[in-house]
Amino acid sequence: MFYTVIEQIVNGIVSGSVYAIVAVGMTMIFGVLRAINFAHGEYYMLGTFGAWFAIDYFDLPYPAAIVIGVVATAVIAVVVGNFVMQRIVGAPAEAGVLATLGVALILQNTIILVFGGSYKFFSGGYIEPVSLFGFTLAEQRILIIIVGLIVFVGLELMVTYSRIGKAMRAVSQNIECCAVVGIDVRHVALWTFILGACLAALSGVLTAPVNVSVYGGMGELITFKTLPIIIMGGLGNVRGTFVAAMILGIAESLVATYVGLQFRDTVGFATLMLVLMWRPHGLFSAQARF
Amino acid sequence: MTSAASPAVRRGPDLRIPFGFALVALACVAPLFLGNYPLHAIIIALIFLLPAHGLNLLLGYTGLLSLAQAAFFGIGAYASALLAVHFGTPFYLNFLAAGLVTGAIALPLGIPALRLRATSFVMCTLGFVIIGQAIAKNWISLTRGDMGLAAIPKPYFALGPASFTVSGTVGFYYLVLAIAALATLAVYLIVRSPAGRNMIAIRENETLAESVGIPTWHYKLVVFMISAVFAGLGGSLYAHYLTVVSPLTFQMYYSTTMLIIVLGGGAGTISGVIFGSLLFVGLTEALRVAPELRMIAYGFFLLALVFYFPNGFAPLIGRFWSFLERRK
Repeated sequence: MFYTVIEQIVNGIVSGSVYAIVAVGMTMIFGVLRAINFAHGEYYMLGTFGAWFAIDYFDLPYPAAIVIGVVATAVIAVVVGNFVMQRIVGAPAEAGVLATLGVALILQNTIILVFGGSYKFFSGGYIEPVSLFGFTLAEQRILIIIVGLIVFVGLELMVTYSRIGKAMRAVSQNIECCAVVGIDVRHVALWTFILGACLAALSGVLTAPVNVSVYGGMGELITFKTLPIIIMGGLGNVRGTFVAAMILGIAESLVATYVGLQFRDTVGFATLMLVLMWRPHGLFSAQARF
Repeated sequence: MTSAASPAVRRGPDLRIPFGFALVALACVAPLFLGNYPLHAIIIALIFLLPAHGLNLLLGYTGLLSLAQAAFFGIGAYASALLAVHFGTPFYLNFLAAGLVTGAIALPLGIPALRLRATSFVMCTLGFVIIGQAIAKNWISLTRGDMGLAAIPKPYFALGPASFTVSGTVGFYYLVLAIAALATLAVYLIVRSPAGRNMIAIRENETLAESVGIPTWHYKLVVFMISAVFAGLGGSLYAHYLTVVSPLTFQMYYSTTMLIIVLGGGAGTISGVIFGSLLFVGLTEALRVAPELRMIAYGFFLLALVFYFPNGFAPLIGRFWSFLERRK
């Protein structure tokens, strides 16, 4: 009994890390653009498809597939960022919602049109099980947790010390003042968006060996799971987002085991609504800003 | 958001009134010269007109962006289907019940949701769709899960001893046309009433509206409920027309479609929404566009609407009218 609980919590931490890597990107994009990115899960899907394409068509090894998946997504993100996301800066909230919904529709259905809507088998990755403190865990899951930690620490360092990181924080606090002191807001917005899309792609490629199946509609589910996380974490709050992602990952894994697998995908939004009634500004932010 | 385009000073008679009558006359005789498939496309467009009218009241007139229309559409469809399948009640009862049930469900959902600010409100309404789909999938004893409810009877009316069934595309076309016309009239009456002007005031400036004594909270809640009722009625028609409902009725796809109709036609105008539903639903249905291509087109429409046509495509028609009138 106790053993199962621990095992489920470890599994929860793994999926929490996956969500966290996607969600930090989305929350940083919100911080800078003030727009919920409804297309964020689609970059997760694009990364996975890039890697699947590299393995299936060119027989490349998994590490190379990771790079290809992320780079392919980055290229698309540059295009979307230049033509869509930059224009959202300073637009009303509705414009952001609608424009990113449009981007999500275009990306998702283009992939379905090109590759077909069927499920595809993802064959790369490190799925050998290893024993660790009496638990058996696939290598890939350990890799996911480690990458999650690296991303978290890396982002914290970047946001605190680097020039672009400081600019991101500044923009998320006050766009007009940034423009006054000579920060190129559109430039910062573009780079934040590309970084976020790449993180989502990385998360997708890392999860693919665990989930095994790849399909065009997979991004939508990730978007719907990430939205509650970033709101619970407090929009634009990186640390809060990590904690919220872990909470959701563990909660989902426990609900799937003890309540029923079919309820797993509703945990996020159900928790979100309860949280919003109690603390409309998220769990970890001092006051409501958005 | 936008306000209704105010016509410039006109010379000569207003062309729009005879044009409106011509359109109604054309709609009445359409089955005489249209084949079954185009008629089917118009039926689908007219069914979607109901939730779109609801969303227009909410988004176009009161300024609240909601993604919950698909949830209420689904609730209406299921309410109607369950009544018809389990109790064999006639169509008009199911139809009215669908409206009442969605309205009653919208009240407890709207009270917490409307307390949230813009972004969180959008998220919360999206959550209704997701949770609605999960309930439809997992409450198997009631909804039969993914198998859905099939063999929903075509609408039949029993008034005293006389009863007749609306079967066939033409019969259903007239039924839907009549309901859509009544719904449009209802929206027109709401919008032209003092309540409609108060809604616009809330859209333009909520704080100012409250300061001049408009009970904004009650208005938002009531409009949220009315929009849900419209969506529920549309869902009921949809269930009776297709004769099946499944958890796929609760889809973001429907919310997106309704957004496209309202924003594409022109939020805050009634004629715009009618135009939008015929253009985006009727036309794509009639052209048998592959679903993926249609969604890609919707995506580009959304981007174009946000960045180039913030007032929707309907004002283009207005410009066309004034162009015609100037030429005379």
